[in-house]
Amino acid sequence: MGRLKQKGKAGAAKAYVTRTAAVKKLQCSLADFRRLCILKGIYPREPRSRKKANKGSSAPTNFYYAKDIAYLAHEPVLRKLREHKTFAKRLSRALGRGEWSSAKSLEENKPVYRLDHIIKERYPTFVDAVRDIDDALCMIFLFASLPSDSKVSPTLIENCARLAAEWQLYVMHTHALRKVFLSIKGVYYQAEVFDQTVTWLVPYQFTQTIPTDVDVRVMLTFLELYQTLLGFVFFKLYTDAGLVYPPPLDTKKDEGAAGVGAFSLQEAKDARPAVTTTSKVVEIDGKRISSKDVRQTIKSITASNPDDPDVQMTSVEAAQANDDDEEFVEDTTEENPDEDTPSAPAFTTATLPTLKTLSTLPQSTSSKLFAPYTFWLSRETSRPIFEFIVRAFGGRIGWPATSGSGSPFDETDESITHVIIDRPAVQKPNETEAERERRLRRKYVQPQWVVDCVNAGKILLEDLYAQGKTLPPHLSPFCERADAYNPTAGLIGGEEDEEMDEEEVVEGEGEDDEVEGSEDEEPVARPAKAALKAAAAAEDAAALRAAELAAEAAGVDFGTFEKETKKAQKKARKADAPKEDEAEQDMNKMMMSNKQRKLYERMKYGEKKRTVERQQLEQKKRSLEKEKKRRAKSS
Amino acid sequence: MAAADVERHSKKRKAAPEEEAPAPPPAAFPQDVGLEMGSEDEGEDGGDVSDDGVVDHFPEIDTRSDTEDEDYTEDGEDEPDESEEDEEEDEEDGESSEETSDDDLGIFPKAKTVISDITGQPKRVYPDIEPDYDSDSSTEDTPNRVGDIPMHWYDDLPHVGYDINGKKVLRPARGDELDKFLKTVEDPEAWTSAFDKNLQMDKPLSPEELDIIRRLQQGENPDASYDPYEPTVEWFTGKGKEEIMPLSAAPEPKRRWIPSKWEKQKVMKIVRAIRQGRILPNKPKTASTQPQFYPIWNDEPSSAPAPLPAPKPRLPGHAESYNPPEEYLPTQEEREKWEATEPEDRERDFLPQKYAALRLVPAYDQFIKERFNRQLDLYLAPRVHRVKLQIDPESLIPKLPSPSSLKPFPVYKSLQVAHEGRRVRTVSVSPDGGWVVTGDEGGVLRLWEVMVGKEVKRWTFKSKIGAVEWCPRTDVSFFAVAIEDRIHFLFPPNLPAAILAATQHALSPANLPPPPAVPSPVKWVSVPAAQSSTDAPILSLHLPSSPEPPKQLVWHRKGDYLASVSEGQAGVWMHQVSRRHSQAPFKKIKGAVQLVLFHPSKPHFFVATQRYVRMYNLAEQKLLKTLTPGIRWISSMDVHPSGDHLIVGGYDRKLCWFDLELSDKPYKILRYHSRALRSVHFHPTYPLFASSSDDGSIQVFHARVYNDLMTNPLIVPLKILRGHEVKEGLGVFAVRWVPRQPWLVSAGADGQVSVWCS
Repeated sequence: MGRLKQKGKAGAAKAYVTRTAAVKKLQCSLADFRRLCILKGIYPREPRSRKKANKGSSAPTNFYYAKDIAYLAHEPVLRKLREHKTFAKRLSRALGRGEWSSAKSLEENKPVYRLDHIIKERYPTFVDAVRDIDDALCMIFLFASLPSDSKVSPTLIENCARLAAEWQLYVMHTHALRKVFLSIKGVYYQAEVFDQTVTWLVPYQFTQTIPTDVDVRVMLTFLELYQTLLGFVFFKLYTDAGLVYPPPLDTKKDEGAAGVGAFSLQEAKDARPAVTTTSKVVEIDGKRISSKDVRQTIKSITASNPDDPDVQMTSVEAAQANDDDEEFVEDTTEENPDEDTPSAPAFTTATLPTLKTLSTLPQSTSSKLFAPYTFWLSRETSRPIFEFIVRAFGGRIGWPATSGSGSPFDETDESITHVIIDRPAVQKPNETEAERERRLRRKYVQPQWVVDCVNAGKILLEDLYAQGKTLPPHLSPFCERADAYNPTAGLIGGEEDEEMDEEEVVEGEGEDDEVEGSEDEEPVARPAKAALKAAAAAEDAAALRAAELAAEAAGVDFGTFEKETKKAQKKARKADAPKEDEAEQDMNKMMMSNKQRKLYERMKYGEKKRTVERQQLEQKKRSLEKEKKRRAKSS
Repeated sequence: MAAADVERHSKKRKAAPEEEAPAPPPAAFPQDVGLEMGSEDEGEDGGDVSDDGVVDHFPEIDTRSDTEDEDYTEDGEDEPDESEEDEEEDEEDGESSEETSDDDLGIFPKAKTVISDITGQPKRVYPDIEPDYDSDSSTEDTPNRVGDIPMHWYDDLPHVGYDINGKKVLRPARGDELDKFLKTVEDPEAWTSAFDKNLQMDKPLSPEELDIIRRLQQGENPDASYDPYEPTVEWFTGKGKEEIMPLSAAPEPKRRWIPSKWEKQKVMKIVRAIRQGRILPNKPKTASTQPQFYPIWNDEPSSAPAPLPAPKPRLPGHAESYNPPEEYLPTQEEREKWEATEPEDRERDFLPQKYAALRLVPAYDQFIKERFNRQLDLYLAPRVHRVKLQIDPESLIPKLPSPSSLKPFPVYKSLQVAHEGRRVRTVSVSPDGGWVVTGDEGGVLRLWEVMVGKEVKRWTFKSKIGAVEWCPRTDVSFFAVAIEDRIHFLFPPNLPAAILAATQHALSPANLPPPPAVPSPVKWVSVPAAQSSTDAPILSLHLPSSPEPPKQLVWHRKGDYLASVSEGQAGVWMHQVSRRHSQAPFKKIKGAVQLVLFHPSKPHFFVATQRYVRMYNLAEQKLLKTLTPGIRWISSMDVHPSGDHLIVGGYDRKLCWFDLELSDKPYKILRYHSRALRSVHFHPTYPLFASSSDDGSIQVFHARVYNDLMTNPLIVPLKILRGHEVKEGLGVFAVRWVPRQPWLVSAGADGQVSVWCS
């Protein structure tokens, strides 16, 4: 006989602990516990049965894994937090007694915790870390734009700004940016780093104030972790790209509001990491493929279909890409282009372009989309956004001195092809000849053009986005569900229905004509048709016989009658079949188990909700278009 | 002052002699304390002054004599008789105590200053001392001279001891409880007196004693003469008392003025360490505060699995664009609805907006709040790992054979027989499948043909018909009808002669079988075969009376036994037609019996109570098994012709299929009717069964049962037959299959009986 089982000694009751119990066990304050949870990435769990986990009580509580808490108990940071507590006590006592020198020495020997080991624990491999930097980047970019106050120190903001600039520099350097979306919340960027898509959101450049209902301490704790994490991630990214980390900052430029331009990327001369050298020549399927081969393949692919003007454009830019690349970052050698295109091996394997490779093509080639162009930013456009986008896609960009220093060229530069301008078109009365000529040579586009080009993966026509024009809608590049509403597609469903109706009507008429034509006798045709219809409707033999007789009486010969009846029966069957099917399915639902039925109903509910949403949008669009048409007619 | 006191206090006080100084209550009236104390003080040393010499005489008189005097004055009798004293104790008691208290004042004779008549100078006059033995009150002790002995020795004696003369000191009279109480009420000094053990009576406390009590109460030193705040006397310190000479003549040691060598050595050690750089007095702090980055991922990662990454936030859709397609913009209603909902309940945390140009886009005011919420989600929200199903929901529906391949089954209503709008509760089909009997609540019983619906015969009874059932025998033709507390046996008209004769013989034989040994409460009354007709019942059973007619009749397959179920405890009766005998098979059954059923092949008997179905072996008379359908209230039940399967319907919309070989629990529970199930029936030959419900529909199933034990029965829903109306929440009461055809007869609350054909 086994030992008696006692309640609360095994299973869920042991595996879970409540937060209060956890805090008690760790012997720290709740604030310290929260901090630890944030740093260590420990979050509450939902036990399968709350009652079992809480020893029979159903009071609302949060549960943690007991093992997680045991793991926290050995955390060096927890020890440091305890030390900090004693330190704070000592310091306050020293200050209270007026022992300034001892207070000073205490302050100097303040316990400081480090998060290196936590980073290593939470992200055992580099890819894990890259996958999880989305939130970190969002926070860094947010704090980089915050004003400093008593809670948020200026050094913190400075550090955040530095990290943000380092990330942007890296993305620009490797042309890793893939998608950009201008939303009402801010600008979403998506980059592809180490085959991981990293999405981050940058607020528009306005002063933000921290609302009162936000706990800044929580945010600062997260920020502490994120700063460390990004530091290590950037270190690895930079060193793998053969760059020096941290990139040296030119204080003078920084003071001139050069932004990202204040940092200079430096090639690590002495010790080139082994990773980059190996990545130079990739071995696939036993073939050694160097970057040159890759470039050649790209060229051949792009040259193979010269019909499409858009693709042609990309081919041009691909051809120019190399030179431009070298222009942009002075010291980059030839290993760059394939290094920053992670999907490169996908089409290096194929010497001839297949459909599959072509489908992957725009993404890879578009990483140098703006390489042939030189942009000028108008004063009212946001410089950090467009400088980043244009440079990440290989373009050159300049800006007026009012947007900050460090512009590589001025407005009169001859190489400028596009001017990004965001103000209504105004006729300038006193325009000099040079200005006019310049204006005609350049293309004036609204900022949305840049982003839409990036998302489309090709250079779009500038006319739609010309200065002062009403812009086409800006769509999200982040793919949604396949069955979601697609605003670009015309209203297929509704229009089709209408068209179908019309067609049917036309067909019906045509048939009538045919029948009339063949028979040439109207009064005969009518009963014949009626007979046919009766035949179609007739299911059993007796009725069929009756119909046949009627047809004969009407003067339809047997061959045509048979054909017609078959047709009609088929049609009738077709119409009936789905109905029957549905009824059967409905009845079969009776035999589902409870679990299955619930699952089925949930799935159906979701489906229905989505279709309703889509239909609503379609309905709205239809009514809007009608309205437009009516207005166009009336005007 | 005394006068004031007197006025203030009770009338009893007035009765007391005026001259006596009232014994002041020491602490009871704090507001009066000052006053009273003053009076007490005066009373103590200057009592005589206030009392104007009347007291002068008292010190001379001893207590006893005094009281006697008083007695004397009051009673006018000189004789200090003990008996007298006893008698008058009541009145005397209060006064005597007062007297004694007065007396106490004069125990210590004090000198008085009197202005001499002769000299005109004040002089001290002491009270006269009587040369009597006990004139000195200080030496005067208690009259009882027995000493410090336990006084209970005198408990059963009339006296309490002896006085100095050896005379008995008689026990003072003690009143009963009422007297005691009155004394405490009436005598103002009762509360300052205590029981004197020696004299066995209450004696008032002296002011000194009262003062001691007061001091103890107030936590003071009980000794009145003790002064805790005496001025200190400085015996050894102070001026002129200083110590001039040293205690020791030793010279002062050198260490008092020479620096320590050892200290120096220790300091030098630290100094040397600092010089050599072993100790850094001020470490550079800047290096440690700046985080140092190094290739953290260069060494091998641990084999432990990485923690699950947090779910990424949903990517923005078209609606979030600064310039979305117009159809995404909310209408006025949508905007209002969005604003009216709580922020937590909103599907989107923003309202789509359209801006003509990028420069017009303002800052998003919820930006920080949203980041914060994301962080709260990251560290506070419990995460559950969910498997996302990527399946077509239609694939969840079980694949069953198509109903069209399982024909024949009833699909349409072929005819309808109306019962003049009365609820038709019961229906039965003859074993040859040609005739149907239906009974309604109005007491009308109709016999009609299945094929054409033609009514052949109609019987009208006084009250509603509870149940009707054809006898399954084919050699005879009759049916049983349950009305009130009777069961009538009727036979249809136009029977062939042979069958008619057989029927008449079966129901009313010429020579009755011998009556059973134990008389049964059920009476069998039959009409002789010659006088029998189709109009009246040929045989009637008189059941014990009950308010409702039997609700169910069930024939055994051989047609000899008929079971009836009525309301009440002993509701189940088993009637044997051949022996004309009835018996109750169960003495007592747990719960109210709903239904009973004979097993088609074995001597088994099913009894359904409200929640359970019990299966009995009638031959062995024991319980075989109890089935638990999990239905709250069983409404109907039927057994498969093979006898191995049972279906049970309930008022809670469930239908349970039991495989009797398999388990006591249902093999399948189906819930497809939207209202209570009323009736279920298996087809005797076809693999079909049907259920009817209060929702007015009849569901037909294909139910194939396999002979091998491994294959589960196949249940396929075939058809929902609709056509009965729901009346007052009641739908189809009964369904019965026509034995040799795949046809169904159903009776509804709308007074219609329908035949459904394939």
